[in-house]
Amino acid sequence: MTELSVSTTAAGHVPQVPLPEAPPKVTVRNLNFYYGEHHALKNINLTLGTNRVTAFIGPSGCGKSTLLRIFNRMYDLYPGQRAVGQLMLDQTNILDPKLDLNLLRARVGMVFQKPTPFPMTIYENIAFGIRLYEKISKSEMDDRVEKALRGGALWNEVKDKLNASGLSLSGGQQQRLCIARTVAVRPEVILFDEPCSALDPISTAKVEELIQELSEDYTIAIVTHNMQQAARVSDKTAFMYLGELIEFDDTNKIFTSPSDRRTQDYITGRFG
Amino acid sequence: MADMAVQSDVMEAAGPYDRAKALSAFKLGDLTFYWITRISAISVLLILGGIILSLIVGAWPAMKEYGFAFLWTQRWAPSADPPVLGALGPIYGTLITSVIAMLIAIPVGIGIAVFLTELCPQVLRRPIGIAIELLAGIPSIIYGMWGFFVLGPFLANTFQPFMIRIFEGVPVLGAVFAGPPSYLSLFNAALILAIMVLPFITAISVDVFKTVPPVLKEAAYGMGCTTWEVVRSVVIPYTRVGVIGGIMLALGRALGETMAVTFIIGNSFRISSSIFAPGTTISAAIASEFAESDGLHQSGLILLGLLLFVLTFFVLAGARLMLMRLEKKAGK
Repeated sequence: MTELSVSTTAAGHVPQVPLPEAPPKVTVRNLNFYYGEHHALKNINLTLGTNRVTAFIGPSGCGKSTLLRIFNRMYDLYPGQRAVGQLMLDQTNILDPKLDLNLLRARVGMVFQKPTPFPMTIYENIAFGIRLYEKISKSEMDDRVEKALRGGALWNEVKDKLNASGLSLSGGQQQRLCIARTVAVRPEVILFDEPCSALDPISTAKVEELIQELSEDYTIAIVTHNMQQAARVSDKTAFMYLGELIEFDDTNKIFTSPSDRRTQDYITGRFG
Repeated sequence: MADMAVQSDVMEAAGPYDRAKALSAFKLGDLTFYWITRISAISVLLILGGIILSLIVGAWPAMKEYGFAFLWTQRWAPSADPPVLGALGPIYGTLITSVIAMLIAIPVGIGIAVFLTELCPQVLRRPIGIAIELLAGIPSIIYGMWGFFVLGPFLANTFQPFMIRIFEGVPVLGAVFAGPPSYLSLFNAALILAIMVLPFITAISVDVFKTVPPVLKEAAYGMGCTTWEVVRSVVIPYTRVGVIGGIMLALGRALGETMAVTFIIGNSFRISSSIFAPGTTISAAIASEFAESDGLHQSGLILLGLLLFVLTFFVLAGARLMLMRLEKKAGK
């Protein structure tokens, strides 16, 4: 069953003909980022297409996670980090200092490298996020939780133990719980920061499959060190190196005929 | 063992270095180490048992004389003939001062810890942290004197009249905050206790709050949580065992604290509904009377000590039980 889905994912998705250009959801213009004095991102320009999967690849420390953490202003938690430039989510300026961060983060969800279930039951892990934004009845909440867990491809595995601790699940299940939790608050954009780096191959395949399904409804950005993964799941790929965006193009093109020498060296494993 | 012997035979053939001998020296060291640690552990049990035993022996005459009535007799007249001794006043005072102290110290202590770990600008973190550690280092007699000369008069002139006036005529609260204002009162003692146990709660909470993985907090912030929601739903549930441990340590200290309380509680065995009235605690009663006691009186004081022991034991057992239920509720 699982193996089957792996093979369909791997072979089936990568479009032979690139998808038509999608209207931009997130627009990045001349974005620079600083950790104190350190200039971590230099003049980034790109767009995330609506309901497309955009992958960010590049060697460690190239700034891809940093870029991801600007999209939901996560860097704001830490003093001394600042972003300069233009970053628009539809018509909203993400970098506006007066922006309501809680609202922004409701629109831009994030899934982390390590599974991060909250220290509560599986049910509460999902209901918690919904409750932040909506006051709904118990039965409606039950529906929403079930829907979210189905959305996270986890419902069948946990429906009989919704009151067990989220921490009692396996790593792969925890990660899907986190995805379900993110989906439950109905964001517009979902950021994945190396979502599979702590997972075994079977869980990885399930998460990848899930990402594909989610791309029908959400705009997705994924940082990954696994180039096959980028090739499998994404429509567009951005290659970053030393804080610069080297190449940004259709995934097919990046992996078959990259126009920059460094991209080619990286994807063929010559460095990184 | 057997492996070692085999190996050493081989080694002996190979060279002059006698590995078996070296190993046997290690073995002796290991055995010594084992026994030293084991004796240390056993000595704890022996000391604890010895203390309980000597308390029971010392308290026996009073136990025989008063029986369980000791627990609910309020009158304390050691110079009557025969002496009438009842522990209700000290037990009441101990519980009420500790409860009030914890009611004040828990929210403030955890609040400080949250501020220090989640909100405080980096430059203020160390000064505030050091100030709180210093608070823990002040000897309790200093707290007692400060409570007696500064805090007591201040409360009696400002806070107490204010509360008495506000709650005058209100059914239950009117009796709790009844006059007249006093320098020496249960409330003063509780306030001093709260200040004394604050560093325990704060220091331990800060330490355990720091163990929350940043990525877990980021995940909560990433869902759009406010700092308050992150603290309430992620940080505190994640660290509840440690936080409750700190609270229990503080409660243990509050129950047993002697010197400062003896100074400012007034040492009255009468039970008053008002927290502004003088009272006494078990440890304060023992400290203030033990030197000039003898016979049945002294035995009664030792029985008080035994009661404090039992009380503390039950509080700790209760805390354990609470933790177990909490864990069940969290779905473990």
